[in-house]
Amino acid sequence: MEPAVRLERVTKRFGKHTAVSEFDLEIPPGTIVGLLGPNGSGKTTMIRMIMAILFPDEGRVELFGGEPDFGRRNRVGYLPEERGVYEKMKVLEQLVFLGELRGLSRAQARTRASRWLERLKLGKWVGKKIQELSKGMQQKVQFIGTVLHDPEMLILDEPFSGLDPINQEVLEAIVREERARGRTILFSTHLMEQAERLCERVCLISRSRKVLDGDLKAMKRRERSGAVAVEFDGDPGWLNRFGVAGVEQVEDAWHIATTGDGQRSQILAAALDSGIELRRFEILEPTLREIFVRHAGESAEEEPTLAPGGER
Amino acid sequence: MRQVWIVLRREYLERVKTKGFILATIALPLLIIGMIGLSGFLGMQAARSDRHLELIDYTGQVGEEVTARVSALGYEIDQVDPATSLEEMDRRVLEDNLEGYLIIDDLTLTDGVFAYRGEDSPGSVRRAVLESVVVETILELYLSGLESGEAVRALIEGGSLEFESVAGSAESENAEVNRMVGTAVGFAGAMILYITTLLYGAYVLRAVLDEKRNRVVEVVISSVTPGRLMLGKILGVGSMGLTQMGIWGASVGLLVLFGLPLVAAILPEGVAAELTQFLPGPGVLALFAAYFVLGYFLFASLFAAVGAMCATEEDAQQAQFPVMMLLIVPFMMQMVTIEADFAWMDWVALFPYFSPIMMFPRAASGAVPVWMVALSLVLMVLALMGTAWVAGRIYRVGILMQGKRPTLRELVRWVRTA
Repeated sequence: MEPAVRLERVTKRFGKHTAVSEFDLEIPPGTIVGLLGPNGSGKTTMIRMIMAILFPDEGRVELFGGEPDFGRRNRVGYLPEERGVYEKMKVLEQLVFLGELRGLSRAQARTRASRWLERLKLGKWVGKKIQELSKGMQQKVQFIGTVLHDPEMLILDEPFSGLDPINQEVLEAIVREERARGRTILFSTHLMEQAERLCERVCLISRSRKVLDGDLKAMKRRERSGAVAVEFDGDPGWLNRFGVAGVEQVEDAWHIATTGDGQRSQILAAALDSGIELRRFEILEPTLREIFVRHAGESAEEEPTLAPGGER
Repeated sequence: MRQVWIVLRREYLERVKTKGFILATIALPLLIIGMIGLSGFLGMQAARSDRHLELIDYTGQVGEEVTARVSALGYEIDQVDPATSLEEMDRRVLEDNLEGYLIIDDLTLTDGVFAYRGEDSPGSVRRAVLESVVVETILELYLSGLESGEAVRALIEGGSLEFESVAGSAESENAEVNRMVGTAVGFAGAMILYITTLLYGAYVLRAVLDEKRNRVVEVVISSVTPGRLMLGKILGVGSMGLTQMGIWGASVGLLVLFGLPLVAAILPEGVAAELTQFLPGPGVLALFAAYFVLGYFLFASLFAAVGAMCATEEDAQQAQFPVMMLLIVPFMMQMVTIEADFAWMDWVALFPYFSPIMMFPRAASGAVPVWMVALSLVLMVLALMGTAWVAGRIYRVGILMQGKRPTLRELVRWVRTA
């Protein structure tokens, strides 16, 4: 199947500052893909190029296998980073307007918008002007505008920022649901933990360049060190045989460094022999943050200085 | 087309529903009509007090005539026997329902001086009426000895200067009157065109700028092409403008329909007829509509382009200056040369951006030949096509561009590459 989005050696500069540098990316349809990187790393610029708001200086951007022209863009639901709403319009009227623009009939737009508003607990606010709503509520209204016409793909630029944890969960559930219906979702975030919860694929960006991308599970498997975590009740004496350097206590658990699969079995056997009560035995996977830092360097998570001179 | 209509409808409804629009469109004319009506009503009340006047004529020559004329103007006035003592008259002023009384004596006949005795002064309107009636009556008395009594009356009522052209029969008296009326209508029309184009143009600029600033445009533009969005916005604001002008026009129409007969009733017959001829005919109204619509689209596209290339309010204030000059310059030229009409100005008026304000008044007064009016309309259509094309390209690039306003060179590049 053709990728939903494809970037081919895409470069975008603003004056002397390179916002996106020689970027390759493929997003297979029907997946949840996270675009991860600190603020200013080029996520928004990339998304804006996919939506043909910006045009690359070099390279090629494809959407659904062709130019991101008008017809293809209309198959996407796009939530920009800055919340764009008509502040003086009433909630329902604004949603009906957006729905109609995207080809829904008036009645259709109205029923769908009402249903979404109920679902996101905005039912009471239907007749209110947008400017009377809180920031978070405005964001939810805008999200509804994004999904209203049931697009094949959702492109969401920092969709969770500014939402409280409960609303973040509601939104995450909707994203998963859309995925289950075969939709493609691309979203950007600087919150690693969230991406870890939600994404099937991730693309790590640092300082306008791609660090790593691919299937999240495969990435973790590839990146894991082989260490195991053991939790148990009883005497930890049996751990001594694995040496001091390789063992460390992390909260309730003991982490043991290994050098291969065979060694993990030995550890498990030793644990069973020692007469302790075993609570957990787990092969440790690196967190996304650890992977990111490992590949991009410690300093990568800091915001880059403005217009770095080294990048030309 | 459906999308243009959706954008148009939103733009229109969101504007028409605001308090500001309702206030300016409906409340303002009501207020003005109300104030005109009230002041007229109060003025008439004050002038025609129902407390009556009396007149003592010691000369016995003009009393009857003055009494008749003053009462013809709507005042209650009676002549009393000159034998009545002034003490008796004063007592009636103080105690009875007598407002005041006039004393006409020999001095009145020689110097035109007469007295009004009352508790309060007669007030400026009544003073003017009484003075002119007394003086006219005395003049007529003096001149009635001459053979041409009717001629004298006409002279007293005022003469008039009539123009006769030496160029031949082309300029009849009628044409001259028509031209005068046309000039007045044209002046009013130019004024309205100037104000509305500036006003609605500014609305378009604001609409585009707001949409760009709050980034709504980024969402909308994935579903609508920039050209349709721009057209929808211009049409939406334009429809609002037409609604507003329609309501204003209708209120003026109502005022004329119901107000004019009222005014005509208290004015001498000739004056009322003169007033009616200043009402524009259907031909002039059609011309006005043509210049309004073409002018609006011409300037609305320019203002839309300005809105699209700016990022902030301050930016827009500066950037709209050249466009405003295209309106202000012809307006100044038109105002300055209302009386002195230079032939070369007719050619300046052909410049499409100047045409609404400069050619419409010329067309209305018939000061330029028909072909020139037609040419100006054709030129405006051509200019509109060119302007819309350029503005559309600037708009397309500009609405998605953030940051500082483009230089002229960058603008040219936008137009070339868009």
